[in-house]
Amino acid sequence: MAERRVAVTGAGVVSPLGASLEEFHTALCEARSGIARLPAEIAGGSGVQVGARIDWQPAPFLKEAEAANLDRATQFALAAAAQAVSAAGLAATAARDRIGVYWGSGLGGANTLEASYKQVYGAGEWRLRPLTVVMAMNNAAASNVAVKHGLRGPFANFATACSSSAMALGEAMRTIQAGRADAIVAGGSEALLAAGTLAAWQALRTLAPADASDAAASCKPFDKRRSGLVLGEGAAAFVLEDYARARERGAPILALLTGYGNSCDAVHMSRPDREGQVRAMREALAESRLAPGTIGYINAHGTATSVGDVVEAEAINAVFGDAAARVPVSSTKSLHGHLLGGAGALEFAAALLPLMRGWLPPTAFLEQPDPACALRHVPLRAERADPPRAVMSNSFAFGGSNVVLVAERA
Amino acid sequence: MDTLARIKDLAGKEFSLDASALDPAAPLDKLGIDSLSFIEFMFKVEEEFGVSVSDEDLKGIKTLGDLERHVAGALAAAGKA
Repeated sequence: MAERRVAVTGAGVVSPLGASLEEFHTALCEARSGIARLPAEIAGGSGVQVGARIDWQPAPFLKEAEAANLDRATQFALAAAAQAVSAAGLAATAARDRIGVYWGSGLGGANTLEASYKQVYGAGEWRLRPLTVVMAMNNAAASNVAVKHGLRGPFANFATACSSSAMALGEAMRTIQAGRADAIVAGGSEALLAAGTLAAWQALRTLAPADASDAAASCKPFDKRRSGLVLGEGAAAFVLEDYARARERGAPILALLTGYGNSCDAVHMSRPDREGQVRAMREALAESRLAPGTIGYINAHGTATSVGDVVEAEAINAVFGDAAARVPVSSTKSLHGHLLGGAGALEFAAALLPLMRGWLPPTAFLEQPDPACALRHVPLRAERADPPRAVMSNSFAFGGSNVVLVAERA
Repeated sequence: MDTLARIKDLAGKEFSLDASALDPAAPLDKLGIDSLSFIEFMFKVEEEFGVSVSDEDLKGIKTLGDLERHVAGALAAAGKA
């Protein structure tokens, strides 16, 4: 039997750069930043100055009463998944036992947990609302997506920090390839811009302070002036589907997901390791049977930390060799911030921009490239390009998890 | 507003239902209210009326009418009605 190929037949986005794939792509083309100063009621006493927040109105996705019983992260997830399911025309298909949900989240219902801790330890009020557990659990978003669309097939929820949702896409691809599902709604979500969680991040000393002249320009990956990452929130979802089935039912085919690499540094909790990243990129390329030179865009993990950006640039150079001088690389985190568990999925959506529309998304604010990050950058502004044959998206996490996805033109 | 009307009003908001059309004698599951949703709803009813319904009493509540009797009883016992 011929190997089953995996198509992307729908996409949904809820991000600091807009609440649809099209809005997100347009904002990337315009290099519009979603980063701003955090309001005092969000930042509390954490000292965190900037973030990429969503001005979130649950309607028209959810009724007010429904929204009150769902964590913010789950609301993002449901909205993104609904877009993807609708775009793919999945609602009209039967055999829901053969359609699954693979999701990723770093901290699950962080806002719900914080609200309950604040009530218990802060106010001494121990009477918590009965839905606290099912709103806060890490798989709440995934399970609500399954319930909403009646998806009864394979189900999994990944919590590998910043690679969670990229892993969800990769493992969903494997599950479809193995014939264990016809389609999987795969993606990830995160909503942890809450004071207590921000304080924990601030303690790590990896967050960028506000840029003195323009808060929107606070995240500067690969730039000599980079000062750390900026936390963001949101969700992205895709319908991944058996290619033959997608063709048969006339579904839109945005791209093919053809390569997945997964490795662990096994070195350190937070310091990234070049060799672990190299192994993941090589595995993804090998699976897609593509030479490095055929990759026409890399969406870097590029968090704008002093160590991380250099290690990733070295890893890309090790894998791509001479071709590294020609393969455009950017970190769109400069615009949408770091979505942590949702980052891999959102950045896979960014990596589809060259394939779908022939634009290379930029690393915004990259005015002074660090020579230690020797890459073919896409600095400041998006660039027009012939749609490449293939693109790569990197997701490297705390804990040493490395996930690399390769997608090809439909 | 009497106790039943207040309960129906709360239930209408919580479950996005037409409060005036809620039948106090209908089993909760027939109204589309599952057990988890009902426990969350009870939490809000207790807040609204400032009463506490025991786990034992909770098991006996099958309709909004049952709920009203328990709330009214608790209010009377507390001298609030």
